[in-house]
Amino acid sequence: MQVAVNGIITGLSIALLALGFTVTYLPTRVFHVALGGVYTSVPFVAWTCLSLGYPWPIAALCAFFSGVTLSVACEAFNHGRLERKGASSGVHLVSSLGLYIIIIQATTMIWGNQPKVLRVGVDSIFNLGGLVLTRAQVLSAVVSTMLLAGFYVWLSFSNLGLQFRGLADNPVEMSLRGYSVRRLRLVSFAISGLLACASALAFAFDIGFDPNGGLTTLLLAVVAMIIGGRRSFIGPLVGGVLLGVVRAEVSWFLSASWQEAATFILLSVFLLIRPEGLIGRKGRLEAEA
Amino acid sequence: MTYLSHLLIYLNIYVIVALGLNMIVGYCGRLTLSQAGYFAIGSYAYALASVAWHWGFLPSVALGAGLAAVLSMAISLPSWRLKGDFFVMVSLAVQIVILSAIYNWYRPEAPLGTLRNLTNGPAGISGVPKPDMFGIKFDTVGSLAILATVTAGVCLLLGALLLKSPWGRVLQALRDDELAAKGLGKNVRLFKLQAFAIACALLAVGGALYASYVSFIDPSVASLDQSVLMLCMVVIGGIGNFRGPLVGAFMLLAFPEVLRFLNIPIALAAEVRLMAYGLLLVVMMHFRPQGLCGSYRIE
Repeated sequence: MQVAVNGIITGLSIALLALGFTVTYLPTRVFHVALGGVYTSVPFVAWTCLSLGYPWPIAALCAFFSGVTLSVACEAFNHGRLERKGASSGVHLVSSLGLYIIIIQATTMIWGNQPKVLRVGVDSIFNLGGLVLTRAQVLSAVVSTMLLAGFYVWLSFSNLGLQFRGLADNPVEMSLRGYSVRRLRLVSFAISGLLACASALAFAFDIGFDPNGGLTTLLLAVVAMIIGGRRSFIGPLVGGVLLGVVRAEVSWFLSASWQEAATFILLSVFLLIRPEGLIGRKGRLEAEA
Repeated sequence: MTYLSHLLIYLNIYVIVALGLNMIVGYCGRLTLSQAGYFAIGSYAYALASVAWHWGFLPSVALGAGLAAVLSMAISLPSWRLKGDFFVMVSLAVQIVILSAIYNWYRPEAPLGTLRNLTNGPAGISGVPKPDMFGIKFDTVGSLAILATVTAGVCLLLGALLLKSPWGRVLQALRDDELAAKGLGKNVRLFKLQAFAIACALLAVGGALYASYVSFIDPSVASLDQSVLMLCMVVIGGIGNFRGPLVGAFMLLAFPEVLRFLNIPIALAAEVRLMAYGLLLVVMMHFRPQGLCGSYRIE
């Protein structure tokens, strides 16, 4: 039970990142690899604010602001321009990979290569009816749940959320009906940056951070998206939580070094048997990427 | 002269790698990120065979190439169904699995070359001997440069023959329209299997040459940065024809040498170099998505 709860809490953070990735992937078809760079760099911003003596809320705000700016800049200066030239998805991917390298190297140049932590010492512990949770876990669970719930409420009930789902379904029709696709794309990159920041801060607060793991974590998020179902906005949540639980159980029953292997076995099983994911629906053949 | 020979050896290694990678990216139309893994498989197989089991040059290289060709199924089987972004992610996963295998497949107490200690873990394998073939020992930089040039020449000749043959044309056909190629009765899956196997074997040959030249390898040869560098090489040079990757290999070799004259502080040199590659990728995608002399645009 304890292991499962730990897994669910980690899974929620993975789900946040996976959702951040899906939020750009579904409406714009951009494989936002640079999100891994955003994920890597924002804890450093928070760390700088904290070491300058600012309180936590301001540090978090600065981190969110820089993450959203970075993600929107990727669209404004790179993907938006490429899209207007009618670039293929591979071109978007390669240029995003280039952006990822630039962001990571800039982070390394500014803050160095050493692992850092956002809190000092042993974390305080809560005891909830037989379950032992650290403060970081509780915080991360609460923040993730609130953000996820907020996002789904926004998506289902607000006018912008409706336009957003429309864009994910058919971008050409959306622009024909007079909606500004460019503006919606900027919004999607902003939300994506926001969700990635939340996930990055949750992980960094729990276990620390360094500039090298961004792409691996993003890969985890993509795996969560694929097993959850890549054609829906709910898929990443399901996939993320499932992945978190499986990884926690594997490291409990076997060893931590089997985590990656388990992740990719899960991925290959899904790709072979159910490529549309747990709650995805099959698309038409020519629409399959 | 030694410096020129050194550059020549690197150029030859890059040429072999670019040739192999072009077969996957340019002729099969699949972007991949697992190339450094296969390069490292070649390096490690060569190092193990020559250090622990005292094999000669040719058998060691053949072992690496064969192993990489068999393991290429890890990316060629997914390529039957996947393409585009999702194939890239699968290849990235393969790359991470290879890297973690190299990191973790060792026990400090077991001797190198046994089943419990294949890679020596983070410490790497040192003292890889220089090539020794037909009684000739290639232990100077100059002689190694000649050996590397000959190897690269053989690989280039084979590659040219293959890619200009009907086999190469079928590959291009299935890259451009897989359904049509299938409709003409071509066994698309078999062709992909063969192309990936040959490409990964070429990558492994490049890796073996690298290991024999620097005589020390550690897990960083399999790192993702290396994969990205190799991808830069073919994307910048151009894909889908024979001369593009050669240009790319030359560019990638010349670029750091040019940066050397810009007086960048030593501590930042590696970061600046990688950042410049990233910038090059972005700029190329904006202004010339087929690469400098390529004939095929990435889909």
